[in-house]
Amino acid sequence: MTPALAINDLAIDFRSRRGHVRAVDGAALTAACGEVLGVVGESGCGKSTLGMAIGRLLAPGALRVTGDILVDGRSVFALDDDALRTLRAEELGFVFQDPIGTLDPTRRIGLQVKAALPGRGTDREVEAVLFEVGLSDAGRVARSYPHELSGGMAQRVSIGMALARRPKIVIADEPTAALDASIKSQILDLLTGRCRATGAVLILLSHDLHAIRKYSDRVAVMYGGRLVETGPSSIIFTRPAHPYTAMLLRASIADVPIGGRAEPIPGAPPVLEGRCERCSFAPRCEWTEQRCTAVRPEARFIAGREVVCHRAESVIAGVRAS
Amino acid sequence: MTAGIRIPFHGDPLAQAGTIALVVLVGFSIVGLTTNIFGSPTTLGGPALSVPGPGHALGTDQLGRSLMPRVVAGIHVTILLSAFAVMIAATVGSLLGLLSGYFKGLMDEIVPRLADLMFSFPAILLAIMISAILKPGTPSAIAAIVIVTLPVMIRVVRAATLTVAEQDFVIQARIAGAGLGRILALHLLPNVASVIIVQAAYSISFGMIIESGISFLGLGVQPPEASLGSLLHDGRVYLSVAPWLVFVPGIVLAITILSVNLVGDGLRRTIDPLIE
Repeated sequence: MTPALAINDLAIDFRSRRGHVRAVDGAALTAACGEVLGVVGESGCGKSTLGMAIGRLLAPGALRVTGDILVDGRSVFALDDDALRTLRAEELGFVFQDPIGTLDPTRRIGLQVKAALPGRGTDREVEAVLFEVGLSDAGRVARSYPHELSGGMAQRVSIGMALARRPKIVIADEPTAALDASIKSQILDLLTGRCRATGAVLILLSHDLHAIRKYSDRVAVMYGGRLVETGPSSIIFTRPAHPYTAMLLRASIADVPIGGRAEPIPGAPPVLEGRCERCSFAPRCEWTEQRCTAVRPEARFIAGREVVCHRAESVIAGVRAS
Repeated sequence: MTAGIRIPFHGDPLAQAGTIALVVLVGFSIVGLTTNIFGSPTTLGGPALSVPGPGHALGTDQLGRSLMPRVVAGIHVTILLSAFAVMIAATVGSLLGLLSGYFKGLMDEIVPRLADLMFSFPAILLAIMISAILKPGTPSAIAAIVIVTLPVMIRVVRAATLTVAEQDFVIQARIAGAGLGRILALHLLPNVASVIIVQAAYSISFGMIIESGISFLGLGVQPPEASLGSLLHDGRVYLSVAPWLVFVPGIVLAITILSVNLVGDGLRRTIDPLIE
């Protein structure tokens, strides 16, 4: 069976006045129907670029260098304008970080939900969508303008809009980063629940390790534009094989025992100007050896996950000396 | 509540004063246009250059035409001409500004550069040039106002579009399958409309200055029609013997422009409180 989403060796550059900057550097990923795939990584690792690339919604300065994205077996980069519009409308749903910014301030909610529905859309369908995302006062919400809603309500509306046409893939880019801590889990419960109910793949882009661990079936850790470790979250969060994953876990406050200290990761993420011909994490890694700075690591299957590291076996075993 | 007339711009006395002045001026010109109480602006009736008095409220000009109806007609011509020209400039400028701000890229290199080029000419000089090329008359006055107010309109709309186009709801509309026309008309235009309205108000007052400037130079509205600028042009020769021929249209012009500006300020404060 073809996977709902397959990303093969994708590389994306951004053109700037000072030359090209590589945002995604040979990313590979697949996702099957009905699963929640968490993508974690620090700011600037290429998460958002990857997410937008799935809908071919990249900024005008972005350039696909190599690779492809297949949605249901069809390449999104090969589609003509009409087919692309159909794909975006019928098969993809996006949920963004700032819920208020996702809604047009000059239009009533009902009209905006209608535009997300197939065909003309009726008031009853609009209310059904709003009701499904837990807005019991659907009629009033439909008549409101975005500024009259709270952030949580607005995010519920945008989840409803993203799922209104029963898309196959839903991409949520930091869906709770702009919300109060108290409603984060409500929104994530709703999002994952609705996706599971409709059988959609949920790609959850976040740097909130705790949420990813709780809600994802599988996790992909992104660093320097590559997916450095991908596998079931139960395996990856308990026995990481990539040093970056291990350091992320130690830096996460939620996982530090009481009285312990979160350990920050020293250094800064790389800015790549082209294909990285070594391990991009090597300058910040405590496991670095000679080949890490000389040879680009390729993806390998080790102990139930895919990992991009020369020293993955040692990292799992915890043997630092080489 | 008393059945009084509610003046817009509550709590903004300057804008209210501007609104009242503008309503009075426009009211006068409409009454003058539809009825004959002020007399005809083109009839050669009374004695030439007579002092303001009972027969002719504001005196007569060198041909014996009553000044009162000519000023009233002048208000009408000056405001309407400028408003019409600004409507054209706002339509064209909004479209170019929206496209330029939305597409960025090559479009956004060419359109603002052209606007800058037009902007770098002194407005009056540009207006005179246009009237000279087109031949003096009302159409060339309109063309001059359009060309002079267009660059600013493009710039302002483009700048506003740049920020709006970055918002996620524009991406969301693209995801929902919206085409270019729908995005421009339903999502971008309503969100930059406030900027267009405020800029249009300022453009109208600037247009009136341009119109009276080129009409004063004899390149705009042609006799026997009257605009406030052409009245200044006609009256300037008789400044020492019949000063009312210059002072009345001059003062009316100043009040008109001031009140349009005050309304523009009021609109800006109401629509866009963030500017303050």
